[in-house]
Amino acid sequence: MLLLILAWRNLFRNKRRTFIAGAAIGLGLASLIFTDGLILGMEQTMVRNLTASFLGQGQIHAAGFRQTTAVEKTIHGLKEVVGRLERDPRVSHFAVRALSQGMLSSAADYRPVEVIGVEPDRERLVSQLDDMIVKGRFFTDRNPRDVVVGADLAKDLAVSIGDRVVLTVAQSQTGTLAQDLFFVSGVYRFNSRDLDSGMALILLPKAQDLLALGQNAHEIVLDFRNPDLAGDSKNAFWREYSQGGDEALGWPELMPQVELAFRYSELSLYVLGFILFGVVAFGIINTLFMSIYERIFEFGVLRAIGTRALRVAGMIVLEAAALAVVSIAIGMVFGFLATALFSRVGIDYRGIEMMGVTIRNLIYPVFRVRQFWFYPAWVIVFTVVTSVYPAAYAARIRPAEAMRKTL
Amino acid sequence: MEVVTPNWGRTLKMKIWTVGSEKTFIRVLEPKKESGMGTLRVGSEMWNYFPRIDKVMKIPPSMMMSSWMGSDFNNDDLVKEFTFLHDYSFRLVQPEGSVPGITYLEARPKEAVPVVWSRIVAAVREQDLIPVWEKYYDDKNALIRTIIFSDVRKMGGRMLPAQLELVPAKQPGHKTILRYKVIDFDQVVDQKIMTLRNLQTWQ
Amino acid sequence: MLKIAFRNVFRQKRRSLLTALAMLGGFVLASFSIAWGDGTYSDVIRSFTHNRMGDIQIHAKGYLDHPSLYKTIRDYQRIGAVAAAQPHVEHWTPRVYAGGLASVGPRTTATRIIGIDLDREIATTGFSGKVISGTVFSSEGIKQAILGKDLAGLLSAGVGGQVAVVSQAADGSVANDLYTIVGLTSTGDVNSDRTDFYLPLKEAQDFLALGNQVHEIAVTVDSTAHAGETASRIAATLADPNLSIEPWQEFAQDFYHAMKADLQGMWIMLFIIILIVAVGVLNTVLMSVLERQREYGVLRALGTRPWEIFRMVIYEADFLALGSVALGSVIALVLNYAFSIHGVTLGEPYSYGGVNFDRFRTELNLRSFLIPAATVMVSALTVAVFPALRAAWTDPARAMRIH
Repeated sequence: MLLLILAWRNLFRNKRRTFIAGAAIGLGLASLIFTDGLILGMEQTMVRNLTASFLGQGQIHAAGFRQTTAVEKTIHGLKEVVGRLERDPRVSHFAVRALSQGMLSSAADYRPVEVIGVEPDRERLVSQLDDMIVKGRFFTDRNPRDVVVGADLAKDLAVSIGDRVVLTVAQSQTGTLAQDLFFVSGVYRFNSRDLDSGMALILLPKAQDLLALGQNAHEIVLDFRNPDLAGDSKNAFWREYSQGGDEALGWPELMPQVELAFRYSELSLYVLGFILFGVVAFGIINTLFMSIYERIFEFGVLRAIGTRALRVAGMIVLEAAALAVVSIAIGMVFGFLATALFSRVGIDYRGIEMMGVTIRNLIYPVFRVRQFWFYPAWVIVFTVVTSVYPAAYAARIRPAEAMRKTL
Repeated sequence: MEVVTPNWGRTLKMKIWTVGSEKTFIRVLEPKKESGMGTLRVGSEMWNYFPRIDKVMKIPPSMMMSSWMGSDFNNDDLVKEFTFLHDYSFRLVQPEGSVPGITYLEARPKEAVPVVWSRIVAAVREQDLIPVWEKYYDDKNALIRTIIFSDVRKMGGRMLPAQLELVPAKQPGHKTILRYKVIDFDQVVDQKIMTLRNLQTWQ
Repeated sequence: MLKIAFRNVFRQKRRSLLTALAMLGGFVLASFSIAWGDGTYSDVIRSFTHNRMGDIQIHAKGYLDHPSLYKTIRDYQRIGAVAAAQPHVEHWTPRVYAGGLASVGPRTTATRIIGIDLDREIATTGFSGKVISGTVFSSEGIKQAILGKDLAGLLSAGVGGQVAVVSQAADGSVANDLYTIVGLTSTGDVNSDRTDFYLPLKEAQDFLALGNQVHEIAVTVDSTAHAGETASRIAATLADPNLSIEPWQEFAQDFYHAMKADLQGMWIMLFIIILIVAVGVLNTVLMSVLERQREYGVLRALGTRPWEIFRMVIYEADFLALGSVALGSVIALVLNYAFSIHGVTLGEPYSYGGVNFDRFRTELNLRSFLIPAATVMVSALTVAVFPALRAAWTDPARAMRIH
């Protein structure tokens, strides 16, 4: 106890040095906190961009649908699944879709497209397509002959709002060709070549009719109240809905390359942490040694009067710990301020396209609890560990020699 | 059928059977490379046969709009069951540059008919109602393609243009010409012809 | 003064050592980070370009914007030779592309026909590594094809099976033929695996009536940094207005932008690292200067002029910094070199953009030494200035009373 008080007071005997060392380490911690927040914010924004745009946080299909995209592979027990989803408190929104390959032709040209039958009311809540409409509307009239296409596709086909197009698909089971007339009712722009040139959206009942699907559909897109659930592949949700021939998957499984990119950035965070601690180590050792030199006479006296070596060492270690505490305080304050500032203002990565989606928003660093206990804890641990070397030195000071040093 | 493109030109010789607007069977006779190739269309389904590899392929939707045999006609044209009579509504018009002795008809597809044309204008000879040309327009009233009829003569007991020339408006250097050599109408077509089996039969 | 400063450094062994150590450590860490960042960046790009695309691509003008069977390169062997003759070029390979229909039994699906020169393709993009089932083309008399594994799946066909393929030839005729599937590929890119239909180049040219024409020549260079200049050199040598020679930054724009964004992110992190290093150096230099206030007071009392004190402090900081940078360079050199050869091997390979990574390496380059050197020197000097001024002009009596 006495040691602790002594250590603490020793620390403040040279306020300036303590403060400088504390600031250095604190700044390191602050940057770690900030970078952590930044990477997390970036991940979240990108996931949000990716999933909210069209993919959804999770999807349900018939097992095997994703590999072959055969029109016959519709979701088993669609009605029951929909009912369960409606009652499921974990799910915030979901939408049902029918999917098929097809051909969209205008007088000018033709293009292969992915035909998507959607439910506009539900679809609005789950994807951003309706926000990306640049011309026309997103099925506000509910006309079964409405078709909504991407801006690139509209350009390729030389069509605009109100123009006629013919959609050709192969029906379920028979493969018989079915054609129908549609009028372009909306054009969206996502700034992604894939999304803007390859999809044609029609009303779900119309798609079911055209494809001879009856009441079936191919895909349910979901969003959760807690977005973290989507990234958690171990969560019970996935198992519960992967029954009866269906399979439910979260975005990490649907787009594994995104997940990997994140792992890679987190790796960079570790490297940063490592670097930081390297610098911290030198700072600590330096500071402690300075402080020891200065007080070498004192140490001599202490040892001369019988203080055991271990206690002297212990005092140094406690001083280091105390310094760590000071540093952490400084670090957390600055880390908090920096992260808070940018989480308001945001960092501009706009216009960059990553994974096929253009970043449209600013990146906001995100706080998380671990920034304020995990990293500080490591600072303390590391500080204490590196203090062992100076502490050992202090413990081995020979009283007689020490008392002879005056400067 | 003669096909002209900026990169190449070819002429094919073929024999065609049709039953109403429901079934069509085409057998290519010349040139040698394509000799024996066939196309069968029954309703909205279509198959191609390749004698060299003895293979019948059903046409998927992705190929529907692609050209038939490299011409300016596409598979869809062959499959279309829509006749002017049933699926379009008509009125008389007087377009610019109208010539005396020619009647001009404007045809618009009836509601829900899946064709990409917004309207078609046909020029017909007043005296014998033989078509002279047809022009196909899109929604913005741009001309997309023109079919020119010529070489009127008696074929199969009727007076018909023996030559059809299809000129796409937006592709310079491309055109397809159909020249009918012999036509027989009102025949009883053996149902066995309109089968896959027949499609695959070729020596 | 210089000599005094120099000797001072050695007199306070422990203190100098610690300060130097801080600078040294900071230098090495910063150097390693930069080398690491540059290395992984290069690695990712290299993996991407060497997987399929190549560092440079040559096409007929306008092909990339509007691909067409008719936009061809007419004498590809000569052009390939011209490319191969340029410095930095490693390999080149020609390709033919066409759309078609593949059919097995009642199943028909759209396909992308790719004619490849097998030997060149293997040398340039490691093609044989992508063939996961069966073999590559052999010189047997039969007509052979290699399919993407998902294409084979869609057709319910496998190695040894027969597949019919139909397309339009360049002379307008209908190209159709039967091939035996000898191998299946897996590239990690689902779209490719679902449509790729590889034929030997000559076979593809015959099938499509292309004579000796090709659509694309892919070229690889020794280091991605050289792609741009090599492309320019090839273009200048060929001097053909009908050809378009593009480095990967142009034909893979999306990837390039994504990499640039990545790079920006990395620079932000490096900036933070450098900041930390600078602060670390600041800390130690500042403290050692401040600690010696008393000493400077004594010197002043003895008559040393303020300017001389100032210079002494600055020189000492200089020496320490220089020494640290020198020694640090040696250590960093060894470290970066070792990692550029061996790298860090991951337990499980990452698959990113259709490419497998299992190794991350550093890149040995000039800026991984220059930037940390600049950082250490600049921070050491900047931080020494203020206390040096203070030491030089503080009243000696007061200075001696500190502590």
